[in-house]
Amino acid sequence: MMQAPDSYLIERPPLKTTLAMAYTLTPGRAAGTFLAETINRRMVGSRCRSSGLVCVPAQDFCPRSGGADMELVAAPDTGTLTGFTATEAGIIATIRIDGADFDFVHRILGADVGALSIGQRVQAVWAETMTQSILDISGFQVVATAPLGRIAPLNEPAPALPSKPYALDLHYEHAFGPFYGRLFDEIGSSRRIMGVRSSSGEGVLIPPREFDDISFTRTGTWVALPDTGTVSAMSVIHLEFKGQKEPPPYIYAEIQLDGAVTRLIHSIKGIDMSRAAELVRPGTRVRAVWTDSRTGSLSDISHFEPIAADDAAGR
Amino acid sequence: MNNPNRVAVVACAQTELRPAWSGAQHVDLISATVSALLKGSGVALADVDFVIDSGSDVLDGRSISNCGFLGAMGAHHKEESRVEEDGLWAASYGVNKIAAGAAELGVIIAYSKPSESDVSLFYASQVEPFYQRPVGFDHVAACGLQAQQYLVRGGARAADFARVVARSWRQAARNPHVAGTQTLTEDEIDAGAYVAAPLRRHMISRPLDGCVAVLLAGAAVARRMTAQPVWVTGMGAAMDSHAFAVRAPGRVEACEVAAKAAYARAGLDPRSAAIAEVSGASAAGEMMVLEALGLAAPGQGFAAYAGATAINLSGGALPADPIMATGLVRLAEAWRQMTQPADYGLAGVNSAIVHATGGVGMQSHCVFTLEV
Amino acid sequence: MSRHVAIVGIGQTHHARRRTDVSQAGLVREAVDRALADANLTIEDIDAVVIATGPVLFAAVNMPEKWVVDACGARLKPVMRVTSGGGTGLAGALAAYYQVAGGQYERVLVVAYDKLSEGALQYSISTLYDPFWGREFAVGIMGFSAAYWRARMDVLGHTEEAAAMVSVKNHRNAMNNPYAHVRKEVTVDDVMKSRPLAWPIKLLDVPPISDGAAAVVLSSEKMAAKSTDRPAWIRGMGYFCEADNAPARSMLVSEPLALAARRVYRSAGITNPRRQFDVVEVQEPYTCFELSYYESLGLCAPGEAAALIASGATEMDGDIPVNPSGGCMGANPIGATGLIRIIEAAAQVMGKAGAHQIPNARLALAQSGGGWANLRGVAVLSA
Repeated sequence: MMQAPDSYLIERPPLKTTLAMAYTLTPGRAAGTFLAETINRRMVGSRCRSSGLVCVPAQDFCPRSGGADMELVAAPDTGTLTGFTATEAGIIATIRIDGADFDFVHRILGADVGALSIGQRVQAVWAETMTQSILDISGFQVVATAPLGRIAPLNEPAPALPSKPYALDLHYEHAFGPFYGRLFDEIGSSRRIMGVRSSSGEGVLIPPREFDDISFTRTGTWVALPDTGTVSAMSVIHLEFKGQKEPPPYIYAEIQLDGAVTRLIHSIKGIDMSRAAELVRPGTRVRAVWTDSRTGSLSDISHFEPIAADDAAGR
Repeated sequence: MNNPNRVAVVACAQTELRPAWSGAQHVDLISATVSALLKGSGVALADVDFVIDSGSDVLDGRSISNCGFLGAMGAHHKEESRVEEDGLWAASYGVNKIAAGAAELGVIIAYSKPSESDVSLFYASQVEPFYQRPVGFDHVAACGLQAQQYLVRGGARAADFARVVARSWRQAARNPHVAGTQTLTEDEIDAGAYVAAPLRRHMISRPLDGCVAVLLAGAAVARRMTAQPVWVTGMGAAMDSHAFAVRAPGRVEACEVAAKAAYARAGLDPRSAAIAEVSGASAAGEMMVLEALGLAAPGQGFAAYAGATAINLSGGALPADPIMATGLVRLAEAWRQMTQPADYGLAGVNSAIVHATGGVGMQSHCVFTLEV
Repeated sequence: MSRHVAIVGIGQTHHARRRTDVSQAGLVREAVDRALADANLTIEDIDAVVIATGPVLFAAVNMPEKWVVDACGARLKPVMRVTSGGGTGLAGALAAYYQVAGGQYERVLVVAYDKLSEGALQYSISTLYDPFWGREFAVGIMGFSAAYWRARMDVLGHTEEAAAMVSVKNHRNAMNNPYAHVRKEVTVDDVMKSRPLAWPIKLLDVPPISDGAAAVVLSSEKMAAKSTDRPAWIRGMGYFCEADNAPARSMLVSEPLALAARRVYRSAGITNPRRQFDVVEVQEPYTCFELSYYESLGLCAPGEAAALIASGATEMDGDIPVNPSGGCMGANPIGATGLIRIIEAAAQVMGKAGAHQIPNARLALAQSGGGWANLRGVAVLSA
């Protein structure tokens, strides 16, 4: 049985990260009209002109024929329960709106799942305040007497909603593993940047890894690298963008620490930024400036700053 | 098949599948697996022509996540492609590439660490964002609705769900590649809380961390490498409609289509297959898949376990679902059963059916047939 | 032996900064309809679909192929998604190529798209970086790309002026491309004086951000005639990678691209790319990359790219026109861009490139790539 590499057991809690992504999503003609019409408490469906089949809620493409020639129609807010389940989100059901050929997935409100049965009549419950969302229909409730509705022409539909804000927050807990674990443990505890010797023995790999990328043989021994190095590539960042951690301007740098044969990404500061492009170039010697905090991450290095060209490699 | 370009599975390797590989990164699992694959097969990395891998940016918390794992995959300066589907689709790409005569030896890798992220969001984010996502429709709900539809369609009984799960966990407990398996009795399973009625806690597949790698070879190389090449004789795939409510209730039509294509190519009657390794998203899902694969009559999925084809000797996906890798694990399991049948109490295994699925409520399916 | 595979239908949307009239799925449909119509086929004639998109974080829909399948009308067909950052369009076409060449299918539809207006582009690209190792400094890949351009300046002489000439040429060429969404001429001076974003990259070194989709139909030889008597034959296609932080990674000449080119040229019988190709389409996410590709693709020797662009050889009327379509400068829906390069190369050898047709183009090269400049591929197409 294969085990993960265990050359260095670590107890570090995982690295927590969040990707907080903001979007503006365009629903398109069918869904956009549906969402624009909820304020009028009109349920919008679509009929495929080639298959004749009706979808509620409206779709731009016929689920059966794939046809794109869709006529928007007004649909009733009554239908029949065709299936249901109960999850953490509540009762999720499939509902066949009267006159439709496909089911609608939505919530059932005010009912115990044990009391539901397929074939029950249901009616939409419209929300008090409308937000141009499918949740403008809060859900459906069982109404034994719900009248049998029918599909009708959609008169003067509202213009389709052009876009809708949306947010996706993704949370992660990334395991360090033995190699990154030791690297960051030692950065935090002893200010040492630990790499591993490549299998050819010709240089040090950081971040450390079990297998050499080129030979795919196991890497050798751990090696402490100095916190000095040489800029292999740099650019001067002026662009501002959402989610940016470092306020511009700053120098984005890819640095080879002395003895390393891979790159470390960091910023270079401590210079007159108006002359950044002239003062820092490929080949510029730099040294890490450490912060006072010991979080055991790359941000324990505040930045790198240029040092004299003849400054000895290592200390 | 007498195709001179036919393709064989010649080696497989995988990590243990665990609830959480908290002491290892993706790269650690991947490089350990690829290294074991090469060592086990005696192939030098230099002889490998290409790498095709499966993983998910959303599960990994990185964009173009393959990009940062290339060294660990042994892909440096090789042809590489990322198929963001279950690894069995990646394998189908590899088979085509070799069958086209463009390569002789390829590594297929699939991995995931669902323990690092939120699996419910992985699925919820697959759902169309305007109508379905806001109401709380997700994979779990789809599995529940599907299970109800399956019961309504007729033939199946809710009591079968616990039996299927108990059987899967019993098998998995014997599988050295699956960790954290206890023996679950049917009573214990039936006492579990509903997560998506009629499905209870253990009736939906359990996400696990892990990595699997498979070595594919063209006929000439395969014969030189091993006395036991396992030939890929058929492949089929199909995807159903995104809108769950539009799919045929109580069956998995896309699986039927995929299976038909694979069997037609292989000339295989599914009932003659010695083994099947299938990926069910839920207890009901597994039975529906068995029906779609032709291993049981409609509504009679449970009968498949007593049939001539040995089903999921590995335990299948219910106790061990390393999302993105589950189907490729099925391929590896089938390969082990075909090359070391005695370990599984089998006299010999001539043919196998391997199945993968993906998406909310098993929207997409891929089927391989294997023969020795 | 491998079966011959041809491109028999091409289609792309009219790209735009923002399309609020269609959803991502609707955008896909436009390109699919155009490619099928061009191939004289309907979706029923298609055996399988390969979807290619940029990273899913661009668009808020995970595994988007499972959504857009409905818009493709591809229910119950095999649908698979390939993703490879900016190179995903070419990587998707390559997967489809093998589905046909390997004998599994006769006709495969490749669909590539991105609707970049809907997300936060640089933030999402920045998540390419290792969360442990440098992500906080990422500026998409712009900071990185600018940094190695700066390095190439010293070693290979890829000056800011030379890159500005790329911008001028591609902007000018885009004027003749009806699908381009930026159609505005610029001068070298405009580029040089444009606002630095990640110096040396300046605003006019950067392509627009676009909503767009593209689709092609690949066909086996025996089925090709139903679609066209003038297909674009795929003479070779390859996609190579480089471990992102491998020891001694050069990044001066793109090694994965040089590897891909060498491999594909061998299979396509290309010994002198500059002389043999009639036209080249490259994916230049920044102007500096086009210079680098000249060298990695063997259009000139390393260190000669600045002289090549200055000579006018890569202009429409030069001996090796590069990006008659305007390249990314005209439109850059990232996930679709690689496939658009293939479409434009195919259009040239099919003789349907319209106002930007290179007369008598018979042999075309398309290039695409993504990631940390470490995923790189090429395709060679012929009449």
